[in-house]
Amino acid sequence: MITKVSRPNLLRRKNLRPVAHLTIPTWIFLALVVLIPFFYGIYISFLNINLASFLPPSFVGFDNYQTVLAASETWSTLRITLIITLIGLLMQIPIGILLALVLHENLRGTKIFRSILITPMLLTPVAVGLTYRFMFDTDLGVINWALGSIGIEKVNWLGSQTSALFAIIIVDSWQSIPFVMLLVLAALTAISSSLYEAARVDGATASQIFRRITLPLITPTLLVITMIKIMDFLKLFDTLFILTRGGPGNATTTLGLWTYKTGFVFLEFSRAAALGVIITIITLPVYFLWRRASKGVR
Amino acid sequence: MKGKHLLKRRNFKVVALVAAAVLTLSACSSDSESGGEVGGEINVFLIPSPSSTSIQSFIPEFEAETGIKVNVSETPYGEAHQKQLLSYNQKAGAYDIAQFDNTYLAPFCQAKAMLPLDSYISGSDEYDINDFGKGQQDYGKCKGETLGLTLSTEPMIQWYRTDLYEKLGLTPAKTWDEYYNNAKKVQAAGFGGQIMGFGPNVSWWWMTLVWSFGGALYDENLNPVVNSKEAVAATDYLKKLLEVSPKGAITATGDDTTSKFLGEDIGAMLNYSGYYGMALDPSINKNAGKIGTAPAPMGTVDTTHLAGWNIGVPADAKNPDAAWKFLEFVLGKTNSVKYLESGAAAIGRQSIINNADLVAKNPYLPQLEIPSSSRIERYPQIAVWPEFEVAAIDAVTQVLTGKQKSQAALDALNEKLKPILAKEPKS
Repeated sequence: MITKVSRPNLLRRKNLRPVAHLTIPTWIFLALVVLIPFFYGIYISFLNINLASFLPPSFVGFDNYQTVLAASETWSTLRITLIITLIGLLMQIPIGILLALVLHENLRGTKIFRSILITPMLLTPVAVGLTYRFMFDTDLGVINWALGSIGIEKVNWLGSQTSALFAIIIVDSWQSIPFVMLLVLAALTAISSSLYEAARVDGATASQIFRRITLPLITPTLLVITMIKIMDFLKLFDTLFILTRGGPGNATTTLGLWTYKTGFVFLEFSRAAALGVIITIITLPVYFLWRRASKGVR
Repeated sequence: MKGKHLLKRRNFKVVALVAAAVLTLSACSSDSESGGEVGGEINVFLIPSPSSTSIQSFIPEFEAETGIKVNVSETPYGEAHQKQLLSYNQKAGAYDIAQFDNTYLAPFCQAKAMLPLDSYISGSDEYDINDFGKGQQDYGKCKGETLGLTLSTEPMIQWYRTDLYEKLGLTPAKTWDEYYNNAKKVQAAGFGGQIMGFGPNVSWWWMTLVWSFGGALYDENLNPVVNSKEAVAATDYLKKLLEVSPKGAITATGDDTTSKFLGEDIGAMLNYSGYYGMALDPSINKNAGKIGTAPAPMGTVDTTHLAGWNIGVPADAKNPDAAWKFLEFVLGKTNSVKYLESGAAAIGRQSIINNADLVAKNPYLPQLEIPSSSRIERYPQIAVWPEFEVAAIDAVTQVLTGKQKSQAALDALNEKLKPILAKEPKS
């Protein structure tokens, strides 16, 4: 048995060798653009580089990490990042599943509806952020105009932490739900129709079919979506920057935006690198979970 | 074959001699046109703005007149200063002229990144530094040296709607109490009372008020003093103004503030004069002909918050003499009217401020005349200002959104600023 299994593997390996050689330039390129900057980032997080100081950098050990971890902004921005992530996931995944289930039914007009639904995915986040910024404008925005027409008083959408966070999640969801929907739809298509037919013959209700068949079979896909979305939320920047710039004050500043401000506004490059390393450490478990979930999907 | 070669060699010599003669003659003619001093080419670093557009409009004429080739690279504000710092740090000599915000004068000064221009200025009748008011002559100075010429003069001034004020029998405020009362009356009449940017640029207005109320941001030893009773009073007043502002003002940037004032019915606005270009644009200004300007109201201390662009010559410039020639050409007295008319924010030259024709077209120009009695306050000249500013904006926003009282927020800010200011090199 062992020889039977291992021989084709050996053959496959032999066949793959020339192909593997062809990928060497890509690996070199990846090393240049990913690995070297990554390790250089870790290296400079132990120095004291400030672009405005013009002093030669010196080794400061864990000083940057101590400063960053002692700063209240690090924790408040991490908290904001987690809030956006949690509420975003709770909003985007159920709505995405719901839309996928509706599209999976192949009702009349599904094709047009599907095309319309994926349009937000095609737009650049900056354009989306700018459009929504005008829409959320307290005095001139269409949202307040619509609310006003039904007698609801103007809401200062971007003027307080709660409403601004809500607005950010709405905008991100508008762009991300189609992505969730498409992946779930692909997972639904992969489920054999014979399972549904058998369940119906056994007298299962629609709710039971969803809980006992659909949900368990799309769970690996949902896990992958969740991991991808968590990583997306951790690096959320463009829409947020255009929409609120992290304001009012720092009320909607995420850890990613705070890292940007530290590096490119305060010009504290080493401190920003330390924050980057911390974000990487936070992201690592998510990455490993994603790897596991991906295996499940395969 | 040999004869042919000889002919060719002879021909080559002739061609070489003619070429050398032509080159020498053209070089001489170019020198004679430019005064025989400088030539070559210069690289100009600009930041997209009306001033930048105006500068570029002079290039063809300058090149034709001097033979100096001018190359321009524009970089958006968000990364412009970082790019300059990187270039100066590497002593790359990439730029001969660079536009920069006055807030970056301090880090450039500490790094000795810019060439002192005093010897050029003192020897130039064309630039004529005495055409500027006494206080404004120092706008680009750091530690006694001029590191940047004034590219725009932008005091924080009072803007008001002449039609609304006339209808309600109001006059531009001279004190902060009057300013608030005017706004209240305009609001009672069903309009927006006044507007300032209470959003991500709130520091502009907050520090204007702190200075005007007699406070300061830090003392001479760089200890923060933002929780003084004057600063608390200024912050309380800022919050009070929010009550007489349109709702959207809480998130407004500098640009939003101006757009709202020019596009809606709002009684008054406090903003930099440099925004007046927007008032001249009929697609933005729905209230053309109804915009008046006046000096900012006065608090317990007569101060003028002065902002604006600088432009200078980096210390590592490869062609500083040609760079100065270009700056003198664009920003000198001869072309100063043309400079303004090509869309730039005005430079506060006496010859411009007192030019009746220009004032008729740009009624705000008299506001650039800052009386000698008024103490000019610039953006804090410290390298850690960006970090200071973000902390200040956060604290002031806590007050404006009602999360904290002024005293508590400013006490906390004062503590937060101590380690930030401690990083600033003591001069």
